[in-house]
Amino acid sequence: MIRGLWNRETVALMLLAAYLPLALFWLWLGGTGALAQLALAVLVVGIWHLVFMLMRAQAPSLAALTTALAIAMLAPEDLGAFRLVLGVSFGVVMGELVFGGWGRNVVNPAIVALSFLGFGFPAFSWPVFDAPIAWAAIPAALIGVASGAMPAAVLAGAALVATGAVLTGILPEQVLLAAGIVLVLLVADPVTSAATTLGRWINGALYAGLVTFFAFGWTGAAPVQIAVAAALLTSLAAPLLDEAALALWVAQRRRRHGRT
Amino acid sequence: MEKRTDLWGTLTDPLIRQNPVTLQILGICSALAVTTTLATAVTMSISLTVVLTLAAGFVSVIRRHIPDTIRLIVQIVIVASLVIVIDQILQAYFAEISRALSVYVGLITTNCLVLGRTEAFARHHRPLPAMVDAFGNGLGYSLILIVIGGLRELFGKGELFGIQVLPLADAGGWFTPLSLMLLAPSAFFLLGLLVWAIRSLLREQVEAREHTPPLRTEPAE
Repeated sequence: MIRGLWNRETVALMLLAAYLPLALFWLWLGGTGALAQLALAVLVVGIWHLVFMLMRAQAPSLAALTTALAIAMLAPEDLGAFRLVLGVSFGVVMGELVFGGWGRNVVNPAIVALSFLGFGFPAFSWPVFDAPIAWAAIPAALIGVASGAMPAAVLAGAALVATGAVLTGILPEQVLLAAGIVLVLLVADPVTSAATTLGRWINGALYAGLVTFFAFGWTGAAPVQIAVAAALLTSLAAPLLDEAALALWVAQRRRRHGRT
Repeated sequence: MEKRTDLWGTLTDPLIRQNPVTLQILGICSALAVTTTLATAVTMSISLTVVLTLAAGFVSVIRRHIPDTIRLIVQIVIVASLVIVIDQILQAYFAEISRALSVYVGLITTNCLVLGRTEAFARHHRPLPAMVDAFGNGLGYSLILIVIGGLRELFGKGELFGIQVLPLADAGGWFTPLSLMLLAPSAFFLLGLLVWAIRSLLREQVEAREHTPPLRTEPAE
């Protein structure tokens, strides 16, 4: 690749391209309701990016669109405009923009927004995804990995553990579908997933493991709720996984080469 | 004349400019734990203010007789005795609120705000300024507690002091309670937002940067 072509916005564009099949399938099946929800989310996220650009000179990012898509797809149903605006504002401002914009955030803003909505309004039901939308997550993951925008090791680690869980029969199909969509939309995020190769494998495996654990032991939880909770905990653990991978690397180096 | 303005400054400084919670980040534990309703927040504020003021007075009176090596023990004994008195009064007259506050009244003993004021100020000043300073700090703590407690009760239940203020959607109104507000994380968020708001109004409270960012080098074309 030509040096200088790859900046933050190129990565955001590649992510958008990867999400295109998923978004199109979802809009096709969801109709105007889905389109209106997406438009509202894009509007709110865009306004906050604009506010932070004007007040703190933070460059707005095209990643706003991926955040809006993830929130619009996964947010609880029939929330109404006011609650959705509140949740999106909280997630985008507290999850991303106060840290200095996309690329400096610790957790994915969409995860923050979804957790806020889930904890704040527990009475609303989570969306249920049919098989076609979940299948569309596979081309999304392929495009993401091919363009290098999504960490392949995270996806591979998650797929490995999920396959094992499905084969032993402890992961129901509905949860698997929701977990796949959340994996592509939220967990395989280049910013908030682990940054070392070993850390990425463990990151993906941890996500799938948590989903399996919740599906097994959390009675009464919706599939998307399980997946979002697992994604939140995984993204909080990601820096720790990186730290462990680095410490391991340093220890190995010290054993091979002596004191350095 | 000099004396009076000094006292006034000692009293009003801790309200916003030197607020113990938002600037010095002291006493966070109880500020987060007891602010689910306004009633508990107010009770806690009054208890802490009384304990702090009296403890500062006592410590200041005997400040020349406290051996330096055991000063912390002496201060904690004084604070703990006062806390026990307050706790007994609450249990006798406000049994319900006392149950809601549970261990947090007892934990005023270990509140870093109390120890901080007696250790840093009362030990070096005469009783009147010491008590004024302690009272001001108590008021500053109370201000934050009442603001956060009010917000949490208003948006979490639509009530203030247990009286319905916002009509609930279940009862034909328009307000849907935000149950996140009754959980502990919301107090963190509110406190963080409050600190952010205060520091963007009063720029001198902003902490110095820990690192200086390197000069940005533009990538070669």
